[in-house]
Amino acid sequence: MSAITGTIPQAAPTGVEPPARGTESRAAAILALARFEARELLLQIPVLVFLAVYVGYAGWRLFIGGDGMDDFPVLQDADRATQPTPMLLAVAVFICVNRAVLRSRRQSTDQHFDILPMEHWRRTVAHALSVLPLGAITALVVGFQYTWAALKPGAVGHGSPAELVVGPLMVLLAGVLGVLLARVIPVGFVAPPFVIGAFVLTTLVSAATQGKHWVSWLGPVVVEEGADPFPSELLGRPAAWHALYLMGLAVLLLCLAVLISGGRTWLVKSVAAVALAATAVGVAGQSPGEPASLIAARTKASVTPEKVQTCVQHGRSTYCAFPEWTGRIADWADAVDRVQSRAGGSAGGERLTVRQRIDARYGLQSDAAIAPSTTPGTVTVGTRWGGNRLPEFAVGVASVLVTGNEDAAGKRCDARVVTTMWLALSTQPDPIKSLRDVRLDDSIEGSAIALAPTNPVSMSAQQTTVVRELLQKPHYSVAAKVKAHWTELTSAKTSTARVAELLGVPADGKATAADSGSGSCEE
Amino acid sequence: MIPTVSASGLTLRFGGTRALDDVSVRLAEGVTGLLGPNGAGKTTLLRVLATAVPADRGSFTVLGHDPGTTAGRLDVRRALGYLPQTPGFHQDFSAFEFVDYVAILKELTDRTARHREVRRVLEAVDLSDVRGKRIKRLSGGMRQRVALAAALVGDPGFLVLDEPTVGLDPEQRMRFRELIAQAGEGRTVLLSTHQTEDVAMLCHRVIVMAGGRIRFEGTPAELTDRAAGRVWSSTERDPAARAGWRTGTGAFRNVGDPPEGADLLEPTLEDGYLLTLDGETAEVAA
Repeated sequence: MSAITGTIPQAAPTGVEPPARGTESRAAAILALARFEARELLLQIPVLVFLAVYVGYAGWRLFIGGDGMDDFPVLQDADRATQPTPMLLAVAVFICVNRAVLRSRRQSTDQHFDILPMEHWRRTVAHALSVLPLGAITALVVGFQYTWAALKPGAVGHGSPAELVVGPLMVLLAGVLGVLLARVIPVGFVAPPFVIGAFVLTTLVSAATQGKHWVSWLGPVVVEEGADPFPSELLGRPAAWHALYLMGLAVLLLCLAVLISGGRTWLVKSVAAVALAATAVGVAGQSPGEPASLIAARTKASVTPEKVQTCVQHGRSTYCAFPEWTGRIADWADAVDRVQSRAGGSAGGERLTVRQRIDARYGLQSDAAIAPSTTPGTVTVGTRWGGNRLPEFAVGVASVLVTGNEDAAGKRCDARVVTTMWLALSTQPDPIKSLRDVRLDDSIEGSAIALAPTNPVSMSAQQTTVVRELLQKPHYSVAAKVKAHWTELTSAKTSTARVAELLGVPADGKATAADSGSGSCEE
Repeated sequence: MIPTVSASGLTLRFGGTRALDDVSVRLAEGVTGLLGPNGAGKTTLLRVLATAVPADRGSFTVLGHDPGTTAGRLDVRRALGYLPQTPGFHQDFSAFEFVDYVAILKELTDRTARHREVRRVLEAVDLSDVRGKRIKRLSGGMRQRVALAAALVGDPGFLVLDEPTVGLDPEQRMRFRELIAQAGEGRTVLLSTHQTEDVAMLCHRVIVMAGGRIRFEGTPAELTDRAAGRVWSSTERDPAARAGWRTGTGAFRNVGDPPEGADLLEPTLEDGYLLTLDGETAEVAA
């Protein structure tokens, strides 16, 4: 180097604040770029559209589109119900972040930017950080959905923070993956085929491994939904391990992107090592599947629920619930009291046992029907409540009052069907609507199956007509006749036509051939 | 002259081509022009000084910072404003957003101060009125001014401009010259150009490169003086001339070694440049 003489002018001529110096200031520069990129990301049309769809759908579910069961949420199900919906937003984030990282290359500013003070790897960090606001928005939506459910008076159970963080983590993971892909394959059109390829690969792997537990849990969201919610302790979902796995994976992918971008500092390498360890621990923790103790606990809860339930005396009857559902006993008792108040004979004062039952032996995704209880005077109630479950439970209660127990499918016929259905549905706020709701075909005419917690009720067209006619009358005008003729109305020998005659409604002719085997005691 | 940028023995090969061959230069405050034919090594020299590519041999300092170390390279980049030969733009950004983005990459972290600075440079290049307009909707001249604003943001002590007036119409070129002249006040500007008029009008120093080597370093007047007594007029193209062309008057302007009794003309910087290249280029034809 040749000698330099004189004083070198150092200061910026117009007194502009000097650029950042020192670690803190350089970190502040990364945050400034992350803020800029976050704003750009939020203005991308795919992100805007899918964010609007996500928030709109969540709002619609909360305020408009929910059914009656949403008023009685089970929080250990409500938490993981928040997971699948951010998926489309995550895909949009993945594609848009990938495009943002490749913007400089696409628009030929990369060579210029490469000689600016902020190095390539710091820009990579900033791009990854730019996803945080979208992760935070997702967390807000998830938090709002869950809090809204938890604050409902009918809420029961316990949510898991580990299940709740999956949605936001999935968005962050998608963003980081977009950054990494851009650094590994710096070509703009790769991201959309990558998404399709990932989907196809997931489907093929899932098919090839037949949904093996450890393979399923390598995906970001594991949807497991069955007919009835389980008590928290019977879920057996490795949610905390999975959250650790997702978090570790996101940080690991970020570190890889930074290392590829030239940020081979000891700090990045150390964080990468920790993230790799966390990911491995998460995978190891979530992989083993359901332990024998869990299977035993599920069997116990399914076969001998009395061993794990809390029972409460309410009025004449006893109500037994899994510990998380004891708050629902008052609702059940109210439904039982209303049905029982319209029953005649000894049924009006019968001591019932209402027992909550599930069949957890086949796992969370089981749709197994619950077998009817053979114990006289015992009524089954499920773990869902609200909506159609109310008239269905009332049908179950009425059925036991009329026939003695749930396991009386052959005895639930002719007059008994009419009596059962009137007892159950006349107590509902809108009896005709409830009749439609409990029937599988959503009709109020013709023969159909009416649902109950265990054994469904088979209704003939004639019985349907009589029940409909009865439900259209004021309940007090029918109730007196029901009590007066209780013995005949609950006899297996009483025909539907006779019920109509006793209760003063038209029977719509005789039972048709189509009614054969449907609600008749003749078979 | 107090040098702000000092390079010694810079050498860089691309395969078998010696793009820079033992280049040593000293730059001081003000605008220094860098002239040379295509392939002379101008852009390579600029890119080396801008720390975009490292030299195979040699060293340099910018405002006392040695880019040979990581910290020194960072200091050089902090002191640098660079306008590339074909600047890229983020087309969907507004002029303000693009310059702001560059300012962030220059690590200006205080948002308020940074925005003030972005407004200042956009005003300096006369783009305040269109600062919110998307770059893809700006004219070529306006885009070039956006690129200059991006180079100026952060008030760098060393400004490297690689052929900034290419593709501009005469009016835009004149406007750009004003901007470069202003930029040269209080800082070191290295201006690579093919336009000898740019150098004549703007530069207090001029460097001529050819074949990766420095052929001349001095003032524009000294370069012009190289052609003193070596430019003459004739009715026919003089075969002894190194270059000659018919002018608007119909007479030929010859550059080279004039015959005795030739009608000598006042030399220009371009004449001096042509003679300095000394056969390196044959772009000027009759």
